[in-house]
Amino acid sequence: MSAEKMLCPVCQVAFLVKEEKIPGKKIICPVCGAVLILEKERDFWVLKRPKDMTPEEEIRSRVENFARLRGYYFNEMKEPLIEALLKKYERYGDFYCPCKIDNIPENVCPCLETRQGSVERNGRCHCGLFWKEA
Amino acid sequence: MKSIMLYALSTCPFCKMAKRFFESRGIAYNSVDVDLLPEEEKEKTVAEVQRISGRRAFPVIVIGEEVIVGYDELRIKEALEK
Repeated sequence: MSAEKMLCPVCQVAFLVKEEKIPGKKIICPVCGAVLILEKERDFWVLKRPKDMTPEEEIRSRVENFARLRGYYFNEMKEPLIEALLKKYERYGDFYCPCKIDNIPENVCPCLETRQGSVERNGRCHCGLFWKEA
Repeated sequence: MKSIMLYALSTCPFCKMAKRFFESRGIAYNSVDVDLLPEEEKEKTVAEVQRISGRRAFPVIVIGEEVIVGYDELRIKEALEK
């Protein structure tokens, strides 16, 4: 039971997993807040996105975890943005940023610029989902 | 009267707020939901947005000569009053 760096399939960042490895165990990515499930593939442990969550449950838990990890808060723009993220998921297959034209991995919510601290610099993320007191 | 162009995405709440801003004040403006354009026109419009704003994010609001990236009510009001 040793700590092992594992790749988050959402934000593509590897992080140290210290927990005991049990198939099906729920792990939260400390970088993007994604809820992930531990699985064993041949001899390797991997993290997968949950199959037993609806898209809405998945994105809600992800953004709530991310906000909690970073100390951000939401306001009345949250619900329209959750709706917009679900529309992006329906149309393009993933939770791409509703305010960016490119449906590419770096724009999966929370997008790269948000993960890299744009909320700290601007008081909010580009879309207005995550906010921080100035 | 300055010409106003709003580049928007159909999924972006700040874009809707920008539309509401102009509509509630009875200000005439042009707008386009870039994500709903046919592919070729979309590419052309996104290239234009990138050229004027340096980004591929929305909304981008052009008031006269001024380009406002993101929804910034204060800057919109200032640009309208200039």
